[in-house]
Amino acid sequence: MKWLLIASIPVYLFGAFRRPIFAVALVLQLAYLAGRGITLGRLPLIGPGDTLAFFSCSIGLMALPFLYARELDQERDLYWGLGAIAALFAGLALPFPTLNMPLPPVLDTYWFELHVALAFFAYALFGVGALLGGAFLLKGRRSLLDLQYRAALTGYSFFSLSMVSGGIWGYYAWGTYWLWTPKELWTSILWLFYSLFLHLRAKGTSWDKRFAWLGIVGFLVALFTYLGVSIFMRSSHSF
Amino acid sequence: MFQRIYQQLTSLNLGLWLIAGVMLALAAGSFSQGAAEGGALNEMPLFAWLLGAPVGFSWWLWIALALLALLTLNAILCSIEALRKGRSLAPQLMHLGFLFIVLAHLLSAYGGFKQQFQLPEGGSLGFPDGERVSVERISGQAGPMGMLSSYQALMRIGNGAPNSVEPNHPLFHKGYGIYLKQVELAPMPVALIEVHREPGAWAALAGALFFTVGNLMLLMQRRGKPLQ
Repeated sequence: MKWLLIASIPVYLFGAFRRPIFAVALVLQLAYLAGRGITLGRLPLIGPGDTLAFFSCSIGLMALPFLYARELDQERDLYWGLGAIAALFAGLALPFPTLNMPLPPVLDTYWFELHVALAFFAYALFGVGALLGGAFLLKGRRSLLDLQYRAALTGYSFFSLSMVSGGIWGYYAWGTYWLWTPKELWTSILWLFYSLFLHLRAKGTSWDKRFAWLGIVGFLVALFTYLGVSIFMRSSHSF
Repeated sequence: MFQRIYQQLTSLNLGLWLIAGVMLALAAGSFSQGAAEGGALNEMPLFAWLLGAPVGFSWWLWIALALLALLTLNAILCSIEALRKGRSLAPQLMHLGFLFIVLAHLLSAYGGFKQQFQLPEGGSLGFPDGERVSVERISGQAGPMGMLSSYQALMRIGNGAPNSVEPNHPLFHKGYGIYLKQVELAPMPVALIEVHREPGAWAALAGALFFTVGNLMLLMQRRGKPLQ
């Protein structure tokens, strides 16, 4: 089945500037994840191989409505940029072996799957927002900033729901909705960052460029929360 | 003078700086020994830990709490101002959710409780009011790789009916949660049980609901609306 994930990479890289081809790459990734899900009997959300593939697919999935936004008509370089980010994370997933073990009992709950899936949708939207911010800095069209705000707000909503479902899961699994660990701290930092980012909208047009830059910084914070904490810190959330 | 202080406390700029400050304090804390996984911070109520921990371990949390206290005041005053001016309800509901979550942490930081027990079949633990919880049977099923894929313990509170407790399905009794963390089946069945009290849980859930409703309202309001 891994060939589906591998095949999605060149399709994104060489064809994502056309929306139907972008959609084909996404369908390949969805088929890969569906196959993994059927094999495992659950969402493939354990280990770096599966989570990177899920993240890549989330980027494609969350980017798709933006590709068809009226403001982005004919923005082919942006379509390609989004496809390239999805391809990058699909490529990063490839060296890692997939874990085919059953879920440990404490993870065997819908709250866990909801928590992780929503977090990846949020990270993906923060990535979409970052790219839109970059496009605004290059082209100066304010409609791009509108879309960046919408991507961030939707991502923030997913992320907040992910934190809620994680808290409910934690309460039933560990007896507490909150633990003082590096992952939880960085999750809070990311949530606070986007709270700050969304409040900045009230500062007016003089903040447009800083707003766009902060959208890019936000995605880097999201990547550190997802990958950096697992790599550099010890946490129960590590792969 | 009071007018100026009030204006400062309700200002967006103050809120933004405070959020940035809390973020920096938490980021510093994430690299410190104080927040290390398995550290004492997760073993006792926050306030008890703060009063006992060396400042070298806890400084970042003191700073974060001080900034958070100011941020809470800022959020309350901003919401009051916004409601007075007849602005949208959605962000105020999100602020209310945030305030309830702060309250949840305060309640848990003051009155939380956690204790572990290792009990064999037939063993029991006692609550402060004298009631006992006994473990009647411990069982588990091994998966294809030999590890336990599921496990459960049959527990009875006093003379009540037996309850099956397993991961993600704790037993609740008088404000306490009884959690089955792990079992060993050989050489004799033993269960690792944790008893928790999380007095802020209801406030956290209420906060989450307020926040989610406000968030959904905001999403609906912002649909198709350009930036101002």
